[in-house]
Amino acid sequence: MIPLALVTKNLGKHKLRFVLTVLSLSVAIFLLCVLRSLVVALNAGVADAAANRIIVQSKVSLFVQLPQSYGPRLALVEGVEALARWNWFGGYYQDPANFFAQFATDPEELFDVYPEIQVVEGSKADFLANRKACLLGVDTAAKYGIRVGDTMPIIGALYPTADGSAWDFTVAGLYESKRKSVDQNTLFFHYEYLEKSLESGFASGPGGVGIFVLKVAPGFDPVEVMSEVDALYENGPQAVQATSESEFQAQFVSMVGNVPLLVSSIGGGVMLAILLATLNTMLMSAREQTRDIGVLKALGFTDGSVSGVLFLQALVLAGCGGLLGMILATASAPGIAAAIGSMFPGYQVTRGTLLEAAGATALIGVLAGIAPAVRARAMTVIDALRAVR
Amino acid sequence: MGANPMIRLRGVTKSYTRGGEALVVLDRLDLEMEQGGFYALMGPSGSGKTTLLNLIGGLDHADEGQIWIEDEDIARMDGPELAAWRAEKVGFVFQGFNLIPVLTAQENVELPLLLTPLSRRERHEHARLALELVGLDDRRGHRPSQLSGGQEQRVAIARALVTDPRLILADEPTGDLDRKSADDVLGLLQRLNRDFDKTILMVTHDPEAAQKARAIVHMEKGGTLGRIEPLEAVRP
Repeated sequence: MIPLALVTKNLGKHKLRFVLTVLSLSVAIFLLCVLRSLVVALNAGVADAAANRIIVQSKVSLFVQLPQSYGPRLALVEGVEALARWNWFGGYYQDPANFFAQFATDPEELFDVYPEIQVVEGSKADFLANRKACLLGVDTAAKYGIRVGDTMPIIGALYPTADGSAWDFTVAGLYESKRKSVDQNTLFFHYEYLEKSLESGFASGPGGVGIFVLKVAPGFDPVEVMSEVDALYENGPQAVQATSESEFQAQFVSMVGNVPLLVSSIGGGVMLAILLATLNTMLMSAREQTRDIGVLKALGFTDGSVSGVLFLQALVLAGCGGLLGMILATASAPGIAAAIGSMFPGYQVTRGTLLEAAGATALIGVLAGIAPAVRARAMTVIDALRAVR
Repeated sequence: MGANPMIRLRGVTKSYTRGGEALVVLDRLDLEMEQGGFYALMGPSGSGKTTLLNLIGGLDHADEGQIWIEDEDIARMDGPELAAWRAEKVGFVFQGFNLIPVLTAQENVELPLLLTPLSRRERHEHARLALELVGLDDRRGHRPSQLSGGQEQRVAIARALVTDPRLILADEPTGDLDRKSADDVLGLLQRLNRDFDKTILMVTHDPEAAQKARAIVHMEKGGTLGRIEPLEAVRP
């Protein structure tokens, strides 16, 4: 029998100490949730990549453009059902801080290769019909208050116009993505618009194609298609590298460094610091309760019950901090997603992240509770009663 | 000694190791105390009074010997058995009161009842009655820091008797109290002995306090038993 009233009353005895420890724990668990969510967001595209899509890029680097002429040849490779050109535009909306992805692409093929892209407002037909039209992700539209029919001026950092003015895109539709392989922040516009603008001198910038995205027809092995694509330009004029979509996404994530390792290191350091702080609090608290330990034992409470009081105190303390941290992380997720959505599309605190945070909370509670509990268990009644209060 | 001993000690020895040397505190002690007695345990410092009380209360283990309390040899019990025995058979009153500071008087008194099969309501009622008995019914919601020393010790006595043990052990129960409060506490112990037939063993340095008992057990330096002095005058 553990006197539960003692658990809560001992924790409440030093209110300031309790509040400060809970706050430090909650900050640590909040940070853990945020850091894990960043990793989850980064890896979402990898996890949800389509198995029937192949990305073809320059073998030299992702930043080297491929010739336009590759497109028709790649479309003829056996097993290729559809092909879409993608070109990174690298512009911004009004201010350089308003950064999100824009791609020039083939509009009709886009829907063919990416069936998860669904127009939810406006019209797909309008997007296809108007060369200056664009399709905008619902998250970016919500962030900047853009509606269908609005003109969206984008400053072309990689493709500046001759007079320095913005590229004006008419928002023909807003899309949602049914899979995380495509985020909901991107602006897609007609590849032809970019091509003609470069030809006419309206703007300048690298020609060619960033990547070709191939859709593999049912019944064909994507690995064999990739081998054939690689072999096609093995001897030039420019060698290509064909990868699965998941490989491509993973390669893209790794370009920003070993984020999971970095995040784990930071998270681990924070957790260790908080564990030590909580352990210190619990040891101080246990020392103050030494005489109470003696009294309880003298009254007939077993060693297990008495050590259980101290162990539960650590668990409750950690639980309060952990729960608060998880609530903060969940409540702040929409705000954080809005602020960094363009860098980390699909940011959200998942159930898995919350389970990890709950596990970390329990681990801190257990580790912080073991030492005082073992000490209380081992202490004789006589020694405990001699302690100065 | 009478034919109905509550406490029987046979050859009880207890020593401690201090600075690498064995210090014998109790040396082959034989002692009997009768059921319903009120004993004051007196003697110079180091004579083993508190050690004897701790052994009789099952708070410590003897090196050798037998300690029979009623019909049980508690010297043979292990830790969990002793804990269960203490919870049922003994009430403790300490010099420093030893109330749990974060609990109210009512909660402190209810604490030993958590080890009984009583319901929450029954525990509450038993504790209320115990506090009423020691005259602190109106202080049930007070924490120890909100009580005087005398009141704290009366709460401790209520806690000691709430499980209705037959044996109450008190270690210098008036040591931290003024004369008036000490007399109140001693009067309460006398009443428990007289009206409720509790066997009480009280360690004290105070000759006035000892005079409230029915007999004084004198301990000698070196942990041996001196004389047992009956105090017939205070018998009811």
